[in-house]
Amino acid sequence: MTEARAELFRSLGALTESPTPAHAGIAEALGLPDCAAREEHTEVFAFQLYPYASVYLGEKGMLGGEARDRIAGFFRAIGIVPPAEPDHIAVLLALYASLIEAEEAQGDVVSREMLRRTRKALLWEHLLSWLPPYLDKMMEIAPPAYRGWAELLGLALSDEAQALGRPDGLPLQLRETVARDPADGKSFIEWLLSPVNSGVIIVRSDLRKVASDLKLGLRVGERRWVIESLLGQDPQATLSWLASFCRHWSESHRRWVPVTGDVGRFWLERAEGAQRLVLRALAETEEVVAQPTVGV
Amino acid sequence: MTQPDLEALGKRVSAARAAVEERGETFYPGPSRIHLAAFPPKERWDDWIELDSRSFPNRVEKHYTLVPTTCFNCESACGLLAYVDQDSLQVRKFEGNPEHPGSRGRNCAKGPATLNQVTDPDRILYPLRRTGQRGEGKWVQVSWDEALDDIAQRIRTCILEERPNEVMYHVGRPGEDGFTERVLATWGVDGHNSHTNVCSSGARAGYHFWTGIDRPSPDHANAKVVFLISSHLESGHYFNPHAQRIIEAKEAGAKLIVLDTRLSNTATHADHWLSPYPGSEAAINLAIANYLIVNDLYDREYVRRWWNWEEFLVCEHPDAEVSFESFEAILKQLYSGFTFEFAAKESGVAVEVLQEVASVVGTAGSRLSTHTWRSATAGNAGGWQVARTLFLLNALLGAVATEGGTHPNAWNKFVPRPIYMPPHPHTWNELTWPLEYPLALNEMSFLLPHFLKEGRARLEVYFTRVYNPVWTNPDGFSWIEALTDETKVGLHVALTPTWSETAYFADYILPMGLASERHDTHSYEQYDGQWVGFRQPVLKAVRERRGETVTDTREVNPGEVWEENEFWIELSWRIDPDGSMGIRKYYESKKNPGQKLSIDEYYSWMFENSVPGLPEKAADEGMTPLEYMRRYGAFEIKNKVGAVHEELVPSAELVDAAEGAFGRVFAASDKPEDPNVVPMGAPEPDPQGRRPVGVRVQGSVRRGFPTPSGRLEFYSRTLADWGWRDQALPGYMRSHIHPESMDPDQLVLISTFRLPVQIHTRSANAKWLDEIAHTNPLWIHPSDAEGLGLAMGDLVRVETEIGYFVVKAWVTEGIRPGVVACSHHMGRWKLTDQGQRQMMATVSLEDRDEKWTMSRKSGVAPFESVDPDTKRIWWTDVGVHQNLTFSVHPDPISGQHCWHQAVRVRPAEPDDDYGDIAVDTARSHEVFHEWLELTRAADRHSPDGTRRPYWMMRPLKPPKDVFMLSGEPS
Repeated sequence: MTEARAELFRSLGALTESPTPAHAGIAEALGLPDCAAREEHTEVFAFQLYPYASVYLGEKGMLGGEARDRIAGFFRAIGIVPPAEPDHIAVLLALYASLIEAEEAQGDVVSREMLRRTRKALLWEHLLSWLPPYLDKMMEIAPPAYRGWAELLGLALSDEAQALGRPDGLPLQLRETVARDPADGKSFIEWLLSPVNSGVIIVRSDLRKVASDLKLGLRVGERRWVIESLLGQDPQATLSWLASFCRHWSESHRRWVPVTGDVGRFWLERAEGAQRLVLRALAETEEVVAQPTVGV
Repeated sequence: MTQPDLEALGKRVSAARAAVEERGETFYPGPSRIHLAAFPPKERWDDWIELDSRSFPNRVEKHYTLVPTTCFNCESACGLLAYVDQDSLQVRKFEGNPEHPGSRGRNCAKGPATLNQVTDPDRILYPLRRTGQRGEGKWVQVSWDEALDDIAQRIRTCILEERPNEVMYHVGRPGEDGFTERVLATWGVDGHNSHTNVCSSGARAGYHFWTGIDRPSPDHANAKVVFLISSHLESGHYFNPHAQRIIEAKEAGAKLIVLDTRLSNTATHADHWLSPYPGSEAAINLAIANYLIVNDLYDREYVRRWWNWEEFLVCEHPDAEVSFESFEAILKQLYSGFTFEFAAKESGVAVEVLQEVASVVGTAGSRLSTHTWRSATAGNAGGWQVARTLFLLNALLGAVATEGGTHPNAWNKFVPRPIYMPPHPHTWNELTWPLEYPLALNEMSFLLPHFLKEGRARLEVYFTRVYNPVWTNPDGFSWIEALTDETKVGLHVALTPTWSETAYFADYILPMGLASERHDTHSYEQYDGQWVGFRQPVLKAVRERRGETVTDTREVNPGEVWEENEFWIELSWRIDPDGSMGIRKYYESKKNPGQKLSIDEYYSWMFENSVPGLPEKAADEGMTPLEYMRRYGAFEIKNKVGAVHEELVPSAELVDAAEGAFGRVFAASDKPEDPNVVPMGAPEPDPQGRRPVGVRVQGSVRRGFPTPSGRLEFYSRTLADWGWRDQALPGYMRSHIHPESMDPDQLVLISTFRLPVQIHTRSANAKWLDEIAHTNPLWIHPSDAEGLGLAMGDLVRVETEIGYFVVKAWVTEGIRPGVVACSHHMGRWKLTDQGQRQMMATVSLEDRDEKWTMSRKSGVAPFESVDPDTKRIWWTDVGVHQNLTFSVHPDPISGQHCWHQAVRVRPAEPDDDYGDIAVDTARSHEVFHEWLELTRAADRHSPDGTRRPYWMMRPLKPPKDVFMLSGEPS
């Protein structure tokens, strides 16, 4: 059984690589409707949802940093030299598959139990700590090939969570992230773009859509600039959209709570906190707008 | 999705995997594809959109086609991505090519600055012919046809009149792998001359005598200890590809040891920085080796298996028992004199520091990556022993061709076999391979003016190609004397993309293409793998993607700039227009016999037939191999080559096998055809004509090394047999600037170091680089400055053995007391208006009976041009041309010019001006003779009547009979 389970995770990981003809065989074996085209892979992973844990777990919302170091540390702790990109989803899933296999191959009961604990630690610390919202977003924005992939991985992870049980406390990756409100408008945007702070994942296509819905100009560039530009053009409309966006995320996180418990609650609280902040900013904006100017 | 049966799914994948793997195919393509970085994804290279920065705040989209090519500035051959504006069809910028396995998308400053070189307003765009006297600066634009016909006719005459040695091609930066060497071979001339003996011959010799291969390929990324005798994190060959891997190693916990007399940027990144007295590096290496030996920290089994210790015992200790234990006992004695105390005395580095570094090396095991290239090996007499003693550390630890160790470069390099492989010429050029230097790794290029002065020979056609010996080589005034004498040099053709001090003394200046304007292939050892990179005229590639046909690069290049491949084909065709000389056949199409070979056919053939895996990879993407290379610019043939010497020789090769001395195995089988024609040593056949196929190691026949013994040659029988028995082992020779050889008032001048953003002659027309680095003050320690009464910025005279130069002092603790340093990159000059106005001072020259002086008439200044930035030039100082004041110092073994100088430094005279130079070329000729006296010439020391050991590398290698000396060996 475990051999098949390892294969399942390994193959799901492989599908996040840039597709080649070989990947079509993997997708087919998994019963996925289609294998993604290379252009789709680029669009999803290079432009929308970066496939690195550190982006979602790091306080800066960027590659690298402590979140990646913790994962590299996990590799070292189990005696493996960390690869160049230890927090890439394909690497993490391949490691997870190897741990399942190692556990199966281990005859000694104590060692086997140790390996199971290691597997559980990887699952909660570095997979379930960020993948549920990531996969939700994937299902929302990705083309069919990756939607199917995300759904399948979500189900597989839920199954693992149930099989291995919940950990005693919140994963370190989340526990170490102190809830901190942004100091000013500029840092607010950066804060917003750090999922582990704000509890929301904003991708480029979200911004494209909101600009179109609100009939605002879409500035090409980093998401930070785009949001700044939207806020500059119509702060009220943009903040209203953000508030509903956070609400939408709260609902999404809530659905995971029965599966992931404290982890789901963590993300829920963060998204609710973000919504409160946005609403407060909205109220302030309205006040500013309402204040009459002093005439001559 | 309904809840799937996860178990069943997993099993299905397992079954699919088993079925695929049973067919011998790979189910999981591997994790190397996941790297995402800040590069335009290759799927969008056809139409990449960016906003035009100059139109800000308006949003104006610019559409680019991204085309890969290879940088032409330093030797690293990093990948570039040219951003070609789809409206104007001009290159707008160059960035890194993420598909390049060596540079992996990263570049140093010199890569993007290629754009400056392309758009330089002072660029030479048309063929020029001299009209006045050589050096007078009078030029007329001529057609390519006119130039080609004249040059071809002269070469044709030389060949027909059996004067092939009067044709010489002298190359600076090759920027390609063997194309032009083969052109010379087709002409049957032994006319290849390189710059290598002013560059890396010292290091090459050290590696070549050990392994039969003349370059190291350290696997830095996987090392536990990285040991550099160089400033390799900031400059030097492959520094960008290597530096990124050294930093990766450091991130993984590796320790970095740097020996550099200067506090270079590299030294600042070291865990252990040692600033040794110049020339003492080999003593330090030997002290570390001794520590490893006496403490039994070396890999005994590796040494037993792979060193030629048996040969050493038999030749040098005939009375000793031929056993490894007996060798070990001798080994322990051999280096016992190289104590830390001795090394400390020689180097000025504290005993404790040396001990600490030795202990770090001792922890490396087989993960010791070491590297030296120019640096100490190019500075010192006997510098080649620096490389030989550095590699000794690898050889002791078994860190040879291991993960994290140092590999011989030929195993990490791939030179695809071209469509034609002409035989090597049947002649020997004494100007480049003189009798005095039978063991020189490369041509004795920098002695050329002295040989011409002595009347050893003359040249009818002399090409300088991307080479500037007047400025780069020592003793530039002797070069000017030679180049201005038409009885010595009949025709001088300068092939160059930019003005140079040497081009002023040419008869023709022919404009060559830059990185985005020419075809070449490259492969360099930058990690344990093999790749091929492709340089291409990017505008040709863009036009062809649009469905147009471009048959000549002059159609797309600026002005009449021409790529060299097409130039050489056309020139060769004109030398032998009717094919009667046997030359033309190498330039004919195979597809259309009788027609000229096209560049597309040349590279198509190569990529289809000689690059394993490329046709399949290209087919996966629905392309031809050439289309693939035009699209991605590079291809990795193999990753993790590993220990080739350990490979078992297949029994099919062991036909009529015979075992020679010390386990060398010879066989009568033909050498298997190899698509990789990378150069390396070529050990000789046995007396029955069987070729060496391997070496017996503990019962098995393994591939071994391309040395005469097939093993690592700790003991070089070659050196011993050719008159240098005293240097046959890794050892320490005191340099010509050892304190014992210096007067008390002399200091050592280090003149070789590079500035990280400049690259010899080639970058002087890059405005961004010039703005960053444009001068070369003299580094001097505060204690020395104080003793001489010098303050920061004071003018000083630096006196060498043949003259002096006047430069500004830069007082810094970044250099050790007793040593001064001045970068060689600066001091560019021109005699008239012609030249690079942003980086060349205007000077006047005077020659009074071999007493030369140069004085600066003006520095650089802002000027009007098509580029508005030239009005913004704010610097006037472009440094001092110190190399003019250096005489030649040829190492008697490696042939390397030994750059370090014993100098006197003193405050300038009241009449001295910045940049003043005075040189006595008669004295420089005397110094040449003094060094010539140190040699052990082939006609006196050859053991077998040949001019040079036949197995040693040589770019063009005439047949064995040409190696024979005319008289009997003494």
